[in-house]
Order: sequence, then structure tokens, then C-alpha cells
Amino acid sequence: MDLAPDAGQAGRRWAARLAAVSIWLLPLLAIDPTTYLVLTVAGLAMGMLLFLTAAGLTVIFGLMDVLNLAHGAFFAWGAYAGFAVLNALNGLGWVETGTLGQGILSVLLALLAALAIGGVLGLFLERVIIQRVYGDHLKQILITMGASMVLAEVIKVLWSPNNQTVLVPLSFTGSYDIMDVVINKFRVVAIVVGLAVYAGVMAVMQKTKLGIIIRAGVENREVVQTLGYNINRIFTGVFMAGAALAAVGGSMWGIFREQITPAMGDENLIFALIVVIIGGMGSVTGSFLGACMVGLAFNYVAYLVPKLALGANILIMVVILFIKPWGLMGREQ
Amino acid sequence: MTGREPTPVQMERLHQRSRRFTRPGFLIQLALLACLIAGPLVMPSFRVMDLVAKIMIFAVAVASFDIILGYTGIISFAHGMFFGLGAYSVALICHYSQPVQYHHLLLAGVLAALISTVVAVVISALSLRVKAIFFAMVTLAVAEFCHILGYQWSSLTKGEDGVSFKLPGVFSADWSGGALWGTQINGRLLVYYLILVVCALLFVGLVRFVRSPVGRVLKAIRDNEQRATALGYRVFRYRVLSTVFGSLVSSLCGALFAMWLSYVNPDTVLGTPLMLNILLMVIIGGLGTVYGGILGAAFIKIAETWLPDLQKLALSLFPKMELMHRLAERWILLFGILYILSVLFFPKGVVGTLRDQAEARRLRRLGRP
Amino acid sequence: MPEAILSLAGVHTHIGQHHILQGVSLEAIRGRATVLLGRNGAGKSTTLRTVMGLTPASAGSIVFDGQAVEKARPHAVARAGVGFVPEDQAVLRGLTVEENFRLAMLQESPEAWAKMETIFELFADLKKFWRAKAGVLSGGQKQMLAIARAFVGDHKLLLIDEPSKGLAPIVVDHLIASLNQLKRHTTIILVEQNFHMASQVGSDYFILDDGRVVHAGLMEALVDDEGLKQKYLGIA
Repeated sequence: MDLAPDAGQAGRRWAARLAAVSIWLLPLLAIDPTTYLVLTVAGLAMGMLLFLTAAGLTVIFGLMDVLNLAHGAFFAWGAYAGFAVLNALNGLGWVETGTLGQGILSVLLALLAALAIGGVLGLFLERVIIQRVYGDHLKQILITMGASMVLAEVIKVLWSPNNQTVLVPLSFTGSYDIMDVVINKFRVVAIVVGLAVYAGVMAVMQKTKLGIIIRAGVENREVVQTLGYNINRIFTGVFMAGAALAAVGGSMWGIFREQITPAMGDENLIFALIVVIIGGMGSVTGSFLGACMVGLAFNYVAYLVPKLALGANILIMVVILFIKPWGLMGREQ
Repeated sequence: MTGREPTPVQMERLHQRSRRFTRPGFLIQLALLACLIAGPLVMPSFRVMDLVAKIMIFAVAVASFDIILGYTGIISFAHGMFFGLGAYSVALICHYSQPVQYHHLLLAGVLAALISTVVAVVISALSLRVKAIFFAMVTLAVAEFCHILGYQWSSLTKGEDGVSFKLPGVFSADWSGGALWGTQINGRLLVYYLILVVCALLFVGLVRFVRSPVGRVLKAIRDNEQRATALGYRVFRYRVLSTVFGSLVSSLCGALFAMWLSYVNPDTVLGTPLMLNILLMVIIGGLGTVYGGILGAAFIKIAETWLPDLQKLALSLFPKMELMHRLAERWILLFGILYILSVLFFPKGVVGTLRDQAEARRLRRLGRP
Repeated sequence: MPEAILSLAGVHTHIGQHHILQGVSLEAIRGRATVLLGRNGAGKSTTLRTVMGLTPASAGSIVFDGQAVEKARPHAVARAGVGFVPEDQAVLRGLTVEENFRLAMLQESPEAWAKMETIFELFADLKKFWRAKAGVLSGGQKQMLAIARAFVGDHKLLLIDEPSKGLAPIVVDHLIASLNQLKRHTTIILVEQNFHMASQVGSDYFILDDGRVVHAGLMEALVDDEGLKQKYLGIA
């Protein structure tokens, strides 16, 4: 832009950043530094996994104007798909007793299965149900809520309504110990994958033709159509990709927690919605920031006052809605 | 205009008013009320009375949800939470007051109303200002938070075990007052009549609200927000008003529900299944009809009562198929599919469809296309 | 007899319960600029949107370049060769000028980039702001970007909806000059309220009223026919 930024505005921006960092460090008053670092890593890892769900949710909302409440169900289905694959591979002796290579391969296969199941479910849901209710928010919310419930129930039919223990390769359990800061190995994996996905999504959005089409579609669907692009096909593709990301997130969550339940989709959806509201609907970067905030706040507060952990996130959401009703990076409509 | 001559609209209203006691709808209402009053005396079956009491409570809860969803076009996922707030108000006050007295019930009712009003005002003031879709998201999060609090704040709510309590005086389960025409008069029966009276009053209140000038403005906003704004209505205020009113009624329904069961726990009065039930009832009954709530609640509650028998039937038909057994256990799955199909193909519900047909008949009689 | 690139016969369009087009029939001749005139709400914009498939026709036929397109979806109409410049300078504000053009090129071929040279000649400003967000452009520049964007997509026909709306007279004059240049490369259908612009650009005209074509002819004839202008366009 060729306009000089307004000095006052820049000052305010720096003040906001300073405030953000000081709030981030605020828990240090009550938590000793070592624990604080452990919690920070845990919070970032949780944030990255939340981001995987929230990214799809926010792009689907921005592009298609659909609030997909079934997004959490993709997360749960991904977790169960990964669980099933790991169980099957354990029969071959790859998981609990396998070598490092077999362990890595089985985790990759689990994530791949999640990716596939997420894509297939996304394709099905978009084509069969959501395409019938484009442009009608009320019906979309009602129907995706129903789809979410049905998908969770099918999990209970196929597996069981109870918790399941996920078998995790030995090489992914345990933790690193760096000067008393204990860091769970899989948290590192989660952070790396989350950052990679964020970088990948941003690269696609900024550099590729597809990214231009999606950003253009977020702004004005009609123009994109009249320029010769079949918007329905793009909707389906984006919906599938979003669903697949959520499913991968779920599968990683399952491996990370070593336990899965049919209700995990609903819990994840709540967090993802908070993230998307904080970050601004339609903004990938906003979701990334929001996910980090929610993950960190959840872990700090869960350490101090376990009962209020979700409440702290709702409080953050409320405060953000007060200051910036459209979220951190949201566009006013 | 002389001021004496009624306008055509006034004439139509006067005409309708003159017929209001002879309309078939009014007669049906009267008959329904008579059945509800006489039912327990004529047919003393606890199972039936239990079913009917629950239907009454849910009919009002669903109708109040319809005020928010059908008449204002806002989706609140916190309707079940408000129900739960009312239920827990009664349960906790009765549980912790020793000995429990009549004024405690009144206090619980007032507390339920107060808490739900404050919470509803805060939530809607925050999220309705921006976009109605935010409201759905925020209420979903807040409702989940309350559900978790219900579990985890166990020093107050006793967590998963739930709170059981005694009602005061004649409403208490062990009070007995002799027999009337061969029917045992006891605490349960009196609570039933209390529920009947309160539900009838609330329902009349909801119907009046919908027909009031405020209700008409709400419909105008739902159908065309821009036009309503241009006409000078403060859309935001009306939305907040209707949300708060609907939530308030829901919390009172929750209070009645708790009194009926003398017991609450997080899953039955705060959890997602409750919210899904309300959604299903309102969809099946018909959005924007108020009366649909009665049908929706009756359908679901009766289905729930009969489902265990259906399950047994399914199991005996397919004794070998394990998947079939699991499917039969998951009746929420069947309800969910039914719900999706009704949103897609039957969006006006039973009452809405019937009304459309009646309207079409009326127009045909008038000779209009 | 000159060949029609687009012909509408008895086209009806409903939007919701409103019956907007009530049997529009018109033809646009290849290589010429056709102007649709008429009062507000006469159905001019809806005619363009119906051709594009954005508000699908409920009855009637639309033939473009020998193909029936009345049932085609917007992207298919665009790919068949119809470019659309919507009302209100609908550029994608969050995208750069470059990205707006890349979006418009279905294939980013050397030919398409060669066409950019023609565009830069016509609209020099767009080269200057190549990397700027389209949102920072002035109204006139946005309108030029919207037109140029439709032109770069290799279309045989451009539908342009009220380009002069909200622009200063001097900018409108610039726009008239550019459109007259553009006429040499492509066929244009223009919806315009500004009669000055319409008469400067158009060769043929159709006047719409209440969703029907009520008059048609050559632009030179209309310019001198005060009675007709008074009757349908409210100008003397």
C-alpha cells in the first residue's frame, strides 16, 4: 500500500501486542517457570490440533457461508479410523512391539486412513445434505446439528458407546526431558504437524490459482461464477479438504490422549467454534491465533482451577466479542 | 376517517373475536383441557400420568423454543441449558433447605426466572448484536460449559449422581389425603395438577405473546429484517426480548420437570440429548406454530415410552444379528435420521402443513387461485 | 442480414414471487455495441443476469453463438464465451489487481498475457497499480478493472451493467473512450442509464419497460427522436 500508516494506529497496534504478550506471561505469577514451560508446550500442541478443525470450519464458513456443526463429527470419525488402523496393525505386531520404522509407518497409515474417511464423509455430507440447504442459515444449522448427532451415533453402533484405548507405538510415547522441562514426544509431533499445515494452507491460499479462487469466492461468489468457475465443485472440494483436516486432527488427538470417546467430536466442536469466533469467521490466520490462545489458556487455567478451564475460554471469547465483535481478523459484513 | 367507523382490519378482528368461542380450535383446546383434568381421576395409571405430565412440560418448553426459533429466526442451543438452570434452582433450594417449605418453591421459581433472564440478556446482548449466527455458536459453547459445570462443581451439584430432594407439604411424595371417587389423592397427583395449571398459564401466555403487537413485529423481522429496520423497529431489542422471554419460560418448565421427578442430574436436564429432543419436537410439530409444540412433544415422548417394546420386538425378530441389536439400542440414531429428513422434506412440521392445507381450502372457497 | 451473436426469444424470469421479465425478445449483432435502455426496474439488469444464468429464465429461449444457453449455469455461460461486468464495480477488493486478472484467465496462457498488453494500452492505470489491492483503487479504476477483467477472459460477448454509475463526468468520458476502443475487439451489450454514454457507445438500442421490449432501432435514430426519449426514458 502506498499510504503511510497512521502513527496513532501503529502505536495502538504495538500496545495491543504488548498487552497480549503480558497476558500470555501473566500465569507466571501463579505457576513456577518449569511448569509454565511444560504447560506452554502442551497448550501449543492442543492449539495446533484445534487449528486443524478450526481451519476447515472457518474456510467453509467464509467461502460457502455454511456453519457446519457436523465438523466435530469428522474429528471423532478421524480418531476412530486411526484407532481401527492401529488396532489392525497391532495384529501384525507393528504397533506396541514393532520397530521404530514400523511405528512411524503405522502412525502415518492411521493419519492417512483418517484423511480418507474425513474426505469421504465430507463428500457425502456436502453432496447429499448441505447442497440442498445453501443460503438458508437456519436449515443449515439445524441439519448439520442433526448430521453431527447421527454420525456420533453411528460410531457408537460400529464401535461402542464407551471409551476406547488407542494403542500407540512405543516410539511415540514417553517424553523428552530438557532441564526438568518434561515434553511429551507426541506434543512435539503435533506442533510440527500443525505448523506445517498452517504453512501449507497459507501457501495454497496466497500463491496458487486455487487459493485465489477461494479468496475471491469468500468475497464474492457471483463474480467467481461469472468468470467461469464451477463454484459447486469448489465448494465440494473445500468441504472435503476441511473435513479431512479435522479428521487428521482427531486421529492425532486420539494418539496423543491414547483414549477416544464418541463424544469427543462435540467437545472439539465447542473449542473450534470458540476459536473461530475469536479469530474471525473466514480467516485462517485468525483461527491459528485463536487456536493458540484457546490451547494455552485452557492449559494454564486447567492447572490452576481445573473446573473453569472451558469457562476461561468462553470468557476470552466474550472479551473478544466485546472489543472486536467480528473477531481478531474477521471482516465486517 | 371519522374515528367511529371500524377499518377493514378492525372489522375482520371483531368478526374473528365474535367467533372465538365457537371456532373448532377453541373447542379442541377445551376438550384437551378437560381430558387433562379428568385423566388421572378416570384412569389412575401412573405410567400414563407420568407420560402426560412430561408431555405438558415439554410442550410448553418446545413452544417457548418456537418463539425464539420459529418466530424470531434465531437458533439458541441454550434452551436446554435454561431448562436445566430452572431444574437445578428447584432441586438445590429444596435439597439444601431443611425443612423444606412452600415459600422455598416460590423462591426457586423466582430464582430460576432471575438467573435465566440475566444469563439470556448477557448472551444475547453480546452475540445478537453482530450476527444471528454467532448466537448459535455462543449458546452452544455456554450450554456445554454449564453441562460440564453440572458434572464438575460437585460440592454444589453432587456431580454425576445428581440431586434428589423432597417437595414441601402436600406436594411431598409421601403425603396422602384420602380417596376421591376411588382415586388416591396424594402428593404426586397434586404436583400433576400444579404442572397442569402452570403449563396452561404459560401456554396461554406464549400464545398471547405471539399474537401481541410484539409478536407481529418479530414475525416481520424474521421475514424481512431490512424492511423491519426501515419501518423503524429496533431489531436488536426485539430479538433480545423474545430470546429472554423464551428462555425464561424454558427455565420455568425445567423447574416443573424437577418437581415432577424430585431428582435432577446433569445429563437429563443440561445435556445435549435434551436439547436434541427439543429440536426434534419443534421440527416435527412445526416451526412458527406454537401449537406444534404439543404434537411434537407428544410424539417424541410417546415414542420414547414405546421404544423399549420396539427394541424387544426387533431383537426377537433378528436374534442372531449383533449389528441389529446395536442399532436397536441406538434409538437416538433413528430420531436423528427422522430429524434430518423432516428438516429437508417436511420443514413445516405437522401443524404447519395442516395450516397450509386449511389456508389453501379457505382460499379456494373464496374463489381465489 | 448481419449475424446475431445472442438472441433472446420470449424470455420470462421470476425472482421469488416477482415476475420481472415478461417475454423479452432481442438480438445483439456480432461486432456491434447494443444498449439496453429503460427506467429503473424495467428489467435491464435482470436481462443480463438471466443471460448469465444468475437469475435463470423460467421460460423462453436464449441462443448464444449457436448454442442454447437458457438452462446453462453461470460458469458454463462464461466458458461458452460470455463475459459479465456486474453493477457497482464488483472487483475483488481483497485481491491484488494482478490476482484479479489471473482469476479471470481460465488458462494462464501466453495469449492471455499478450492480451494484457492491449489492456494496459486501454487502461494504463491498471499497470501502475498492478500489485496493489483492488480495494484501494478509485471508483473509475475499479470499473476499468472490472471491464478489463471480463475482456481478458477471451469472451466473444461482454455484458456490461451500468458502468457509469457513481462515477464523475470526467471519468465517464474516459470510460466512453475506452469502451469505444474495446468495441473493435469484441461485441458489447451495455445497460446504461446515462444517455450520454449510451448514445456515444451504442450502435443499436432496445428500450425495456415493465419486463418487455417496447422499442428497438438504431442509436442514430433515437438520438434525434425527442418524442420517444420523452416517453420511455423521461429525458427531453
